[in-house]
Amino acid sequence: MSKKFTFYPGCSSEGSGAHLDTSTRAVMKNLGAELEDVPDWNCCGASVGELAAGHLTNAALSAHNLAQAKSVGEQDVLTACAACYLNTHSANEEIRENEATRNDLNEALGEAGLSYDGELHVRHACEVLVNDYGMDAIKEKVTNPLDGLKVAGYVGCQTVRPFAGTERGGDYDEYDDPDFLDNFITAAGAEAVEFENKTSCCGGSVSVMKPEDTLHLMHKILAEAAEKEADVIATPCPLCQTNVEMYQDAINEKFGTNFNIPVVFHTQILAVAMGLDGTKDAALHQNIIPATKLKGMAK
Amino acid sequence: MNAVSPTPTKKYDLSFARWVRDNVDGGDRMNMCMQCGVCSGSCPLGDQMDLGPRKIFMMVRAGMKEAVLKSNSFYQCVSCYRCVVRCPREVPVKYILHGLGRLAVQEGYQVKKDVANARFADAFWWSVTKYGKTDERLVPTLYFFSGGFGEGIKKSLANLKIALGMLKTKRMHIGMPHSSKKKGDLSKILAKAAEIQARHEGEA
Repeated sequence: MSKKFTFYPGCSSEGSGAHLDTSTRAVMKNLGAELEDVPDWNCCGASVGELAAGHLTNAALSAHNLAQAKSVGEQDVLTACAACYLNTHSANEEIRENEATRNDLNEALGEAGLSYDGELHVRHACEVLVNDYGMDAIKEKVTNPLDGLKVAGYVGCQTVRPFAGTERGGDYDEYDDPDFLDNFITAAGAEAVEFENKTSCCGGSVSVMKPEDTLHLMHKILAEAAEKEADVIATPCPLCQTNVEMYQDAINEKFGTNFNIPVVFHTQILAVAMGLDGTKDAALHQNIIPATKLKGMAK
Repeated sequence: MNAVSPTPTKKYDLSFARWVRDNVDGGDRMNMCMQCGVCSGSCPLGDQMDLGPRKIFMMVRAGMKEAVLKSNSFYQCVSCYRCVVRCPREVPVKYILHGLGRLAVQEGYQVKKDVANARFADAFWWSVTKYGKTDERLVPTLYFFSGGFGEGIKKSLANLKIALGMLKTKRMHIGMPHSSKKKGDLSKILAKAAEIQARHEGEA
């Protein structure tokens, strides 16, 4: 299905989540989607912008991105990053629903000769895969089914909370026990292990600033993946991917464990299953803990 | 842009609940709280919070301003939004906690150098205003050293292996920070938004 979206890559796309960006673009292109980037995008404010600058000032970051997205066209805005989605979608809805906020942000945008009245719809790439394409369309593109790969589908928090069950959020899944990620995994021909911690928190940005307070959260996720003998953990969230991967040494040291479990993005799995290039499209060289078994299956 | 709540030095302040309602993002729904405790029970770091959201909401109503604003609970919030989606009365718990956490620092109930989140947020905002983007090398480094030189060295060394792994897999680059192009536009927009925000805070 040929469909056009305006794409908001977000800061992690140029750094820690580069492999999410690469594999998302590859998978979307393979499904027939055309992505055009927001021209001069800036940061969304993530989880801490509001604490630093306050609610309205933080929302101005998204307003600037959205005003520029409007200049690209009226098509939906797509983002693959959980925090980018949360901030941008949430600011967009506030601009649509709250006249006072809309006026305030337009007064701010006016400083750069811009305006935005909530004309666009901001959507998460996972929701688009579910609602606009669906499992059948994804399965149709799978030419390299991942037989024998056991995957722990780890959704995390902000991909689904608080919008996945709302009308404007696409109402595509539930908050505590969503199915979409397991469906992607099985569509890729892999086995989705039963994973109770699928929406447990990795600690988010608190793990970046104070890992000593949150290592036990990631330990719980890794321990279940190990117990279920998963070959890889797959997640749609860039911060989940980085946290759960990079703290395994610290977790092993603190809890006396011996984890060395690869953490990949769902789109890396889909790209391999779609027979796309393991490096150029699936970016498997960018996982610090190499996903050896998945790599071995790549074309 | 400091929002000064009524009588900043008072231990008990019966106008505090009204002030939170009018000034904290989501505070207008706090009066819907029926003290069921689903928020505190759902919180992944609830056991590391000295109060937890349910208690905080009751203490705000009781006017226990000082005790509330000295709580560590705001800075344990991991933004998982479980409390937000589970609250049967649609109280946006996470948003209120973050708003109170910001207020506590602004009014000096929390000392910034002791609040890792506030120091991290400052480092983050510095990068956002300077480059339009988060630089994943500079933000953690600035944050590590914001706790003092010794802590900066200690934390940098502790994270060295991670940084090398990131460099090796090209998830961290060497060279100038990535930057948005028309930074002047963004600066003007953010400055204006901050000015409007301060205006509202002054009105309240």
